[in-house]
Amino acid sequence: MPQPLDWLRHGTWTGFDGFRHMAAIEDKAGAKPSGNRPAWPALPAVGDLSRVAVLIALVTVGQYLYPGFLSAENLRVILTAVAGIGILAFGMTMVVITGEIDLSVAGVAVLSTVVGGLLIATGSPFLIIGAVLLCGLVLGIINGILVAKVGISSLISTLAMLGIAGALANIFSGGQAAYPEKIAEFMWFGRGTVFGVPVPIALFALMALICLFLTRSATFGRRLYATGGNARAAMLSGIRVDRVKIAVFAFCGVCAAVAGLIESARLGYINPAAFPGLELKVLAVTVLGGAALAGGTGSVFGALVAALIIGVINNLLNQMGVSFYMQQVVTALVILVVVMPGMKHRKFVK
Amino acid sequence: MFSSTRRAALRGTISAVVLMAVQGGFTVAAQAEGVHDTLNGLIAKYSEQAKQEMSNKSVSELFEKDGFRDYLDVYPVGELAEGFVWKPGMGATFTGPYSKLEIKSPFTDYIPLAEGPVLDPNKTYKIGFVFHGFNHPWLISLADTAAWEAARHPNVEIEVIDAEFDDNKMGQVIDTWVAKKYDGIVLWPSREAPMGPPVDRAIDAGIPVVSVDRRTSSEKISSEVLGNFYANGLQEGLYLKEVLQGGNIVLNRKDLGSTADSIRTGAFLEVIGNVDGFNIQGNYHTNSQRQLAFQSTADALQAFNDISVSFNTGGEEAMGALDAIREAKRLNSAPDGKKIVILANDDAKEVLKEITDGNIDMVSPYTPLIGDIGIRAVIKHIGAKEGLNEAPPKLIMTPNLPMITKTKMTIEGVETMTPDEWPYAYGPAVN
Repeated sequence: MPQPLDWLRHGTWTGFDGFRHMAAIEDKAGAKPSGNRPAWPALPAVGDLSRVAVLIALVTVGQYLYPGFLSAENLRVILTAVAGIGILAFGMTMVVITGEIDLSVAGVAVLSTVVGGLLIATGSPFLIIGAVLLCGLVLGIINGILVAKVGISSLISTLAMLGIAGALANIFSGGQAAYPEKIAEFMWFGRGTVFGVPVPIALFALMALICLFLTRSATFGRRLYATGGNARAAMLSGIRVDRVKIAVFAFCGVCAAVAGLIESARLGYINPAAFPGLELKVLAVTVLGGAALAGGTGSVFGALVAALIIGVINNLLNQMGVSFYMQQVVTALVILVVVMPGMKHRKFVK
Repeated sequence: MFSSTRRAALRGTISAVVLMAVQGGFTVAAQAEGVHDTLNGLIAKYSEQAKQEMSNKSVSELFEKDGFRDYLDVYPVGELAEGFVWKPGMGATFTGPYSKLEIKSPFTDYIPLAEGPVLDPNKTYKIGFVFHGFNHPWLISLADTAAWEAARHPNVEIEVIDAEFDDNKMGQVIDTWVAKKYDGIVLWPSREAPMGPPVDRAIDAGIPVVSVDRRTSSEKISSEVLGNFYANGLQEGLYLKEVLQGGNIVLNRKDLGSTADSIRTGAFLEVIGNVDGFNIQGNYHTNSQRQLAFQSTADALQAFNDISVSFNTGGEEAMGALDAIREAKRLNSAPDGKKIVILANDDAKEVLKEITDGNIDMVSPYTPLIGDIGIRAVIKHIGAKEGLNEAPPKLIMTPNLPMITKTKMTIEGVETMTPDEWPYAYGPAVN
């Protein structure tokens, strides 16, 4: 007797009217019930490889122009620069795969760190760091409940959360910055090392591994893509779509808190006006990573490469002395150039 | 058209001021009744020299490319109102109504107004104060001083509104106050052009309007309380010229075209424009964001091994640059193992701490504690309207403040202050 979740395990469930729904998922996602993931989940998709090619090209140009571009020190600079936004892009990618969007990441990052900053006087690193992470988690869960249970569009609910969290950060802090320099454990997130590797880079790598595992090798990943590919089909297949969505929003909230923690520790101050426009930068990395805002498509590996592309471009342009404004133009053009073929392909498939 | 008319008028005024100063033969020390005049004399001196010639090609190229001359020529530099002479130590101490921090405000004796009822004691005067940014220490301090001054006068009611960097909202707030027939309006505009029409509407309705720190495009505005951007950039240049005769400079600047960037950076370049040893190695606009300043400096440190100077248009930029230099362990990576000279503006407490610790080399103060001047000026305008007193001048210059260095120095007649001697720093303390 076929079971509702069989196709998730074997990809061949044909019970009830499951075939039609699975076909819908295939249609939207590209080829497979799990979205555009390749037949061998351990390997990156072709689209991701094209991003890797762009990354290699940029690095080659960088090394040609600046012989020290591939030095350990410059790689450290690039990786620490993208660690925060990269971690956020992982969370955002998972949200986008489910067909939703999280515009509140900047607000969540700010409010989480501000809440931690309010506890600096206690001198307890456990309390401070715990509060930062807990705040991110709670705000993420609220986002998830608003979307999955209350039924508010994620565009609207997370936009509201962005405003509310930013405003609360100002109210709680009185608009004043806090300085966590004396809390060594807090500062470790930005300035510490693990076996010689800067903590932001180590966290970036760790989060990448966790997210890759979640999306590519676990049942959760299949549910994720199924939810984004066709939520109704996934629901009829026995997937608790609401739980999946709440989980990814919660995870994205934690990612925002971690990113806030890293950046605040690197700069040694908690700023209630920090991260202006961060949500759009994260969204840009997510899209550059191959995620489709319609859902069902995207990969953490793609987001990882996209974050590195942005980091390399910014580093290269800064080294070349290109103005900040021109950097924005170049970055946007690179995003368009990389994303455009994928868009054409999707249109063709449709 | 509007802008050029205004520029032409201001250019004439400034040229006259500069000419008078030049004719005075730069006898800076002799005329130094206060630091304000000393610095104005130096501004005139270096401005004139830069106009004659800028021998440093690297500096002059940037100066030309970004059109600094156009901005510098129209930025008012002049005497203080009512012959006021500011000296370190002046001012009043109080707790900021919004920040809840202890503040020593430097200019409470400037355009003074005695505590107690103002103008007609039987009348209550309603004043609106609109600005942007209850999320920024500098701006909160500005609002603190405005609210403090209003609270000193029992027949003055103040309404403070944060327009949240929304020009339309600020315009609507002003229009609402016009409709409600407020007695006076004080504003801190973010940008010049959009606030001209609302200010004009208020003036046409007979309501005095005073802007503080930044300007509007209104020619009808009652008074403008202006900051000392010129003295900021000038002093960064003076300090650098004093401690180095050459080296590669990386600039972390504010938004292109903003007054703070054009005047501070322009004045800095004027001072070093005839010192041939300096070279502009990197030039970044980091838009007042510490994170961007951090990143541009981190990347510049990878591109260049011989950076001698980090010039920063603001305190946020300086802190970002310092953090990047520290993270790269490059504080002492200037040629011959010397320390990278870090120049800053804005006297936030965190910047002063870094000066005490020897990490940032100098800061040129740009105090937000001027909201009180705006309130006093608008009250005097209301009084003038009611025939009770003389109106204050249209251009109210705030006193130039001396730079702060770790140890006491005298540079071209400017006596620097040490962090311990400077009670006017703003923002939360850093332990």
